Amino acid sequence: MTIEFLCGSCQKHYRVKDELAGKRAKCQQCGATIEIPVPPAVDPQAEAAAPLSPTAPPRPVGMPSSSENIRGSGDFEFEISQRPDFALVTVKLQPGQKVFAEPSAMASMDPCITLQAGFKGGLKRTLGRALGGESLIINTFTATGAPGEVTFAAGQPGDAAHYRLKGGALYLQRGAFMLHGEGVDLTGKWQGAKGFFSGEGLVLLKASGNGDLFFNSYGAILPVDVTDQYIVDTGYIVAFEDTLQYRVSVLPGLRAGGTLKTLFFGAEGLVCRFSGQGRVWIQTRHVHPFLAWVNPFRPAKSN
Amino acid sequence: MQYEILSRPAASAAKLTLDAGESVTCEVGAMIAMSAGFTVETTSRKKGGGGGLIKGLKRILAGENLFLNHFTATAPNQTLIIGPGLLGDIIHHPMKGGTVVVQGSSWLASGIGIDIDATWQGLGKALFSGERMFWVKCSGSGDLFLNSFGAIYPVDVAGEYVVDTGHIVAFEDTLQFHIGKASKSLVGSFLGGEGLVCKFSGQGRLYCQTHNPPNFGKLLGPKLKPR
Repeated sequence: MTIEFLCGSCQKHYRVKDELAGKRAKCQQCGATIEIPVPPAVDPQAEAAAPLSPTAPPRPVGMPSSSENIRGSGDFEFEISQRPDFALVTVKLQPGQKVFAEPSAMASMDPCITLQAGFKGGLKRTLGRALGGESLIINTFTATGAPGEVTFAAGQPGDAAHYRLKGGALYLQRGAFMLHGEGVDLTGKWQGAKGFFSGEGLVLLKASGNGDLFFNSYGAILPVDVTDQYIVDTGYIVAFEDTLQYRVSVLPGLRAGGTLKTLFFGAEGLVCRFSGQGRVWIQTRHVHPFLAWVNPFRPAKSN
Repeated sequence: MQYEILSRPAASAAKLTLDAGESVTCEVGAMIAMSAGFTVETTSRKKGGGGGLIKGLKRILAGENLFLNHFTATAPNQTLIIGPGLLGDIIHHPMKGGTVVVQGSSWLASGIGIDIDATWQGLGKALFSGERMFWVKCSGSGDLFLNSFGAIYPVDVAGEYVVDTGHIVAFEDTLQFHIGKASKSLVGSFLGGEGLVCKFSGQGRLYCQTHNPPNFGKLLGPKLKPR
């Protein structure tokens, strides 16, 4: 028996002895470190029924994945599973504990959890959230009598992340809010002219206080620690800490003696330039390219 | 240039790390985020001349943009994160001379040692391959990044191999392909839903994608409001 796998970075195909399963090796082609996968137990009959032809693609046993679950505990225990494409947030509530989620985010829950829909935080906060691209209604989930689990998922395929607020504040892009625990205050925050140019919305959501916050994306979420300056295309920002300053500008080519073409033909459009110290979360996809792609498939209007 | 491909396969992004003076050429709109130490230049030609408008116009026919974005690091250890527009994977193909023929929208980025041009594959292939009329021809040496709709799987062809139309990402030009029927009878080919297929022959690396974009588009389109 041999193990077949691909190098995670250059896709070179390897065939090694069974005994090497789980060991680490260096790729001969690109030098990347590869962990030799442990092959799953195969039914010998199924194997015989579908013989590999010499030109068949090697089985991608060793494909790397960033699908690790995120486990942790804040005021309650939580787990984010099925990452990064179909993230599911599971929270474990003790009796009397509450979480507050955007409507329709709940996927499943134990019977001891009670759900209450309502406006939260008065008229001003409610309208602020609405301007920040979220619903007017916030659903409250309370564990009554016994501990219980609730799972949450976003409407779109994508990732989710957890952030523990400790007196600071986090800005969320339109639609990125998923749920928060007790002690978190969520409000819309007018961004002035910056919001106008960022192309995503005039108002960002601001989460502050002490507690747990979960947010979601379209595509995977990558956290980046900014120590000096960092540039993100405005469509790809999910969230950022308020210790960062930001300003919307065009790509640096334009300023450093570049030409205006980068803005108009380069299609990178406007970027957000972060400065200071803090963390920014970016998403690897955004929905506009998908919408632009699907548009030509719509039926033509018949007259 | 160092690279790392993150969050594969559906939401893949490539993280490139460049040293001062190193450059990479990317598809327009591919930039997600980057360090502050880059200069960005938009041209219709290869970095440092060559190509020019005619090649740019040919790229449009191949489904790419007239313009290319060149990112040049001005300080050591600068990172650039790039990704395609649709959900799908990214693959790195190291080029050491030779030519790789890439399906219209699958080219994402390449090192500056790679020349990007469009190529005409002939009328029969243009009409029946399920791809665009023109393909992108990458030649030279350096790092080449390709993207797909769905996941990418590589096939080392030695002899013959058959790929359904719409599933080709790229192939080395040591391979030839022609359009043929999926089964012996033409009626059988179409009843089976496979229609015409691409038959490859020769020796070389072929990259296929698990999903076929027009099939997904045809599924969604009728459910949407007419334009």
